[in-house]
Order: sequence, then C-alpha cells, then structure tokens
Amino acid sequence: MKGMQIYEPAMCCPTGLCGVSVDPELLRVSTVLDSLKKNGIEVQRFNLSSSPQEFVNNKSVNKFITEKGVDELPVTVLDDEIVITGRYPTNEEFAKLLNVPSSFLGEQPKTLKLKVKSKSGDCGCSGDNCC
Amino acid sequence: MNNFNPKKIALTKYLFYTGKGGVGKTSTACATAVTLADSGKKVLLISTDPASNLQDVFNADLNNKGVIINEVPNLTVVNLDPIQAAAEYRESVIAPYRGLLPEAALSNMEEQLSGSCTVEIAAFNEFSHFITDEKAQKEYDYILFDTAPTGHTLRMLQLPSAWSNFISENTHGASCLGQLSGLESKKGVYKRAVNTLADSKLTTLILVSRPEEAPLKEAERASKELADIGINNQTMVINGVLTSYDDSISESLYQKQQKALTEMPQGLKGITAYMIPLRAYNITGVDNVRALLAKDNCIVSDGKITARTILKLKDVIDDLYLSNKKVIFTMGKGGVGKTTIAAAIALGLSAKGKKVHLTTTDPAAHLKFVLAESSGISMSRIDEHAELEKYKEEVLSRARETLSAGDIAYVEEDLRSPCTQEIAVFRAFAEIVDKADEEVVVIDTAPTGHTLLLLDSTQSYNNEIKRSQGDIPESAKKLLPRLRNPDETEVIIVTLAEATPVYEAMRLEEDLQRASIAAKWWVINSSMYQTGTTNRLLSAKASNEVEWINKVDSHTNGKFAVIPWSPDEIKGDKLKKLII
Repeated sequence: MKGMQIYEPAMCCPTGLCGVSVDPELLRVSTVLDSLKKNGIEVQRFNLSSSPQEFVNNKSVNKFITEKGVDELPVTVLDDEIVITGRYPTNEEFAKLLNVPSSFLGEQPKTLKLKVKSKSGDCGCSGDNCC
Repeated sequence: MNNFNPKKIALTKYLFYTGKGGVGKTSTACATAVTLADSGKKVLLISTDPASNLQDVFNADLNNKGVIINEVPNLTVVNLDPIQAAAEYRESVIAPYRGLLPEAALSNMEEQLSGSCTVEIAAFNEFSHFITDEKAQKEYDYILFDTAPTGHTLRMLQLPSAWSNFISENTHGASCLGQLSGLESKKGVYKRAVNTLADSKLTTLILVSRPEEAPLKEAERASKELADIGINNQTMVINGVLTSYDDSISESLYQKQQKALTEMPQGLKGITAYMIPLRAYNITGVDNVRALLAKDNCIVSDGKITARTILKLKDVIDDLYLSNKKVIFTMGKGGVGKTTIAAAIALGLSAKGKKVHLTTTDPAAHLKFVLAESSGISMSRIDEHAELEKYKEEVLSRARETLSAGDIAYVEEDLRSPCTQEIAVFRAFAEIVDKADEEVVVIDTAPTGHTLLLLDSTQSYNNEIKRSQGDIPESAKKLLPRLRNPDETEVIIVTLAEATPVYEAMRLEEDLQRASIAAKWWVINSSMYQTGTTNRLLSAKASNEVEWINKVDSHTNGKFAVIPWSPDEIKGDKLKKLII
C-alpha cells in the first residue's frame, strides 16, 4: 500500500469550521480521510501551525515551500513524491492514487438517498410507519 | 449585614472574585490580599482580566511570573495578560523553526496563532497552572484570583469541563485544538483545576456586587452558572454601601441602595453576605487599599475644574447627527453606564429623525429595561448561546446537503469546539454592523476585555477572509473596513471621574488606535461633582472627581461631556432628560 501525506497551510482545524465560514472543500477532505481511516487506510495530514517539524523533515516539501512559499499549499505527497500542488486531490484521484475502491471514500451523499425517499413517499402511506 | 473582614471569616486557600464590571472586584481582592498579608500570611494575588488595573492599584510594574509588593512583603502579585501569554506561546511554537522553515511559512504560522482562540487558550493555560501548581500551593497560605468581567470569566471557568469533555469525547483527535500541540497532556491539569474549583474545602467564590439592581442580578446569574459547574462554596460582598445620610442627595442614594438590597434577587438570599462601606477615595496606592476594609478619610481636595465649559450628552449627539455617523459604539470599563448612554444616544438620534437600531453584546445588559419597545427604535441583543446554536444549525444544514450521516457526526464533533462560539458571535456582530447601510446602528459593547478580544478576532478573521476559499458572508467582508472608516464609525468612550475607569479608558483608546478605529468623544457618567451634595462623604468624593475631570479635559482637548449622578434609575422618561 502506498503512503500518502497532505501538507497544509497553518489552520486552526482540519474541517475549517473554525474559520469565518465553512470551506466545503476542507469538509470534503476531512470526511474522505475519515472514511479511508475506517477502511484501514491512513492518510496523514500535517498543517504548518501544529506540525511544523514535518515540513522540516520532508525534504521535497521543504524545498517546495522555500521556492514557492505557502500560497501553493496544500501539497499531496505519495511515496515521498509530490503529486498534487495548490489543491486537494479529488475523490477520483484519492481512489486512483491510493488504489482503493471508491466505496472506501465514504457513503454515497445523502442527497441521493433523499431523492429515493421522496419517490417512495408516493406510496401514500402516512405517519411513523411510512416506507 | 456585617462588615467584610477577612481576618474574622473562615477562608479557603483559593479565593475567586467575580461580579459585573465596575463593582470593585479588584479593590475587594486587593484589600483582602493586603489585610491577610499584613496579618502574617503568605498571599498570592492573580489577575486574569485582559484589562487588568492591578498595576494602577499597586503602582508597580507587574508581570505573569509574580512581583513582590515593596510595602507588603508577604504579598506577591501576578498579572496574567492573555495577549502577552498568547505572544509568548506563539513565540515558543515558532522559535524552534527559525532558519529551518522559510520566512513565508513562519509568518503563516504566526498569523494562524494570532486568533482569539489562541489568546483564550494561552490565558487559560496560565490560569489553570496557578490553580494546580504544587509549588504555589505549598508556598502560599492564600491564592486569590481577581477575575475578568463576568461574561469572560464564566467562559473561562467553563472551559475546563468543556475542554476535557471535548478532548475525551473527540474520537478523531482533538482536531480543532490541533494548533496547541500537546494539549492532550494538559488534560490532567484541566481536570485538577476543575476539581480544585469545585472543592468547597479548597475554593470559595466571592460574588462582588454594588448595592444596585443590575449588578445584583448579574451576581445571581454568575452564582447560578458557577453552581451549575460545581462551584457551590459561595459568599457575597456588597461593596460601596452608604451607611448614613444628611442631605437630599445622600438620602436618595441611601434609599436607592436599601431598596436594591431589600429586593435582592431570590437566588442570592441563601448566600452569606458582607458589606464594605462606600469610601470617598479612589482605591489606588497601598495606603488606600489598606484603609478600604478599615476606615474612611473624607478629605475634601481643593482642585478646580479647568474646562471653560462642560458639554452635555446633547452636544455629543448633535455632533454625531451633523457628522452623519452610521456606526456608534459605547465602550468603557464595566459598570460605567454604557447601556444607558447607548440608549440615550439612540433616543437622541431617533428624535432627530434618524432610523436607529440599538444593540448590545453584553450578556448582563437589559436594553428593554432601559428603553421601551414602543420608542420607535429597533433593538437586539447578541446572545452568545443563541448565536452558537444558530451557527451550528446553519453549518449542519449545509453539511446535510452533501454529506452522509457518518460524516455529519464528524462535523458535529468539530462544532463542539470552544472556538465555534467565537465565530458565531463574530458573525452576529458583523450582521448587526451591516445594518448600518440602512440605519444608524448604536452598539453597547460588553465590558472592555471581551470587546478587545472581539475586535482582535475581527482583525485576525479579516486576514483569514482574504485567503479562505469558503463562502464568506458579505457582512464579514465589510466589517473591519467599515469600523476603520472615521466618516462612518465613532466610538464614544464612557468613564467615571475616578482613577481606574479613566486609566482603563485611556488604555482602551490606545487599543482602538492600534486597530485604526476612531474615538473622539468621552462621556463622564454619574458625576457627583455637579449634584451640589453637602454630605461629608459624598462631597469629598465629588471633590476627588475634579482631578479626573481635568485629566479627561486635557486628554480629549475638551471633547467630553459630563452626566451628573442621578438618584433615579435612568430609564424611560428619565432617559429623555439626558438628551435635552
């Protein structure tokens, strides 16, 4: 299995809930990584303010921020090689880079389920026993 | 009610002073500390107020390590400045990486570690250190905490339980607290701090109040909230009680105080109360601190007012009207009457035909108590708890659109973080200021410490806004630029003609200048000087005001107004008198 690390700019929390607004991208990444972890795949996340030592330890990341600064963060590292910069991997990229089935990335979005529900609402039943 | 005499009362090792701003927490704590130290006990006095004035009281340069007071050799005083604590913490995180990481990375870290969250955490760390420190426990007979104004204190005291729950329940690691590496290891310290606070053999909570309605209500609220988090060993000190009268002014003050004490809130009735008589002097300098619990000295000073004319609040309102200000703040130390003055300004501008919105961020304020809803002025209050729930629901409802149930549980965990409340309040604040597009917004802010944190977070959030990819409310983007525009925003600094409120107002003004927010007018509230009292104590008190009125006059270049002390509660029709 391949080792993946994501190096992020200084942040208060990985979901971005501490920021002045919720960043849906951070939310997506947090939950995808959470799902991967439940499936036994650990992707490490290092943010500059809480894990600065990691930015020293990883030579390629260190070189990267020395040359490009911090505006090009986050960077994704796969087996010590920088594979994506300036953004987070998409769900497809996560699956491909880690070589895992997309079901490892979490449940299907709830909106789909809701659509199914509204269809079944047509059955006409009411109350707590509704399908 | 017996006089407060620490030598005659069984005291625990840890003493906590809390109460509304301006009730005399610092004076009472200092007087207790000096009295105990004079009787041969080793005493440690700690202030956790971001706007502490212990340095004025003891006339000494203080720090967060502890300074021995020359005139009171048994007394050590510590001033925990949260801003400084945060700076030290920030430096401890960044320093090891100088030279190892590029400058851009260091400044990115620094910026992230400058938010109000860090300030609060750093302050709390130091605070819990002193509650749990074994060396301090062995070295001192008494350890006294002169706390920040109530709202802030409560949050701080609630943090230990909130945080230790957060850390232990959070299954995906203390994510939001990630910036404080090693926080997990502090868990034991926080737990011990909470246990110490809740142990009635170790800790006494001293609720300080004035014999007035609003601070007593606040004391009741604090008493209940602190009891809820396990701090049940409570006692009360009523500070500034007038014990006799001989003219109409002193009689009406006496009656007003006695009425407030007779009608004391139900929740306080079971708590043992002591009193400290009203004093004519300002509680600064060790001599006055020593005298506070012992004796009065009604010395009438012979200073003369230097100002040629003393303006009224009406003149301030005229200026605000003519210069067409859109956002008006009343700021100052707690207990100086910011709510009343904000309401009077709102009423004054409304009477001139402006559409006005009046709001408060002070959890202890009761706008509707001051101003009737039928006054034609719209009113609101930023309620921290309500705003938190609103924000949580907003985030979750958005998350529900795209995330699965398991993922939502994950988000819910992060929303339990203490930072979330700060953000919720910040957003509510931005929304209110945003109303200034349509109408004049008058904002009665919470006591100084909290206000400073709020403005500080405004600044750091503003930096974050610039780089965040998230969906940022327009109101948040517009906030700081608007507050910094002197054509739109004006801060009225409210004070009393006494040493501490004036010094504190000056520090507040400096902080505002640092944040590039304009403050032109000062208002001196509740002045005895213009009442013409002949009572020995009150006239001595009035004469002591002259020095401070003069100081404000020269400091503001005459841009100040004075409101005389009034025997009545200033509300309803009484409020109108302030604007004519």
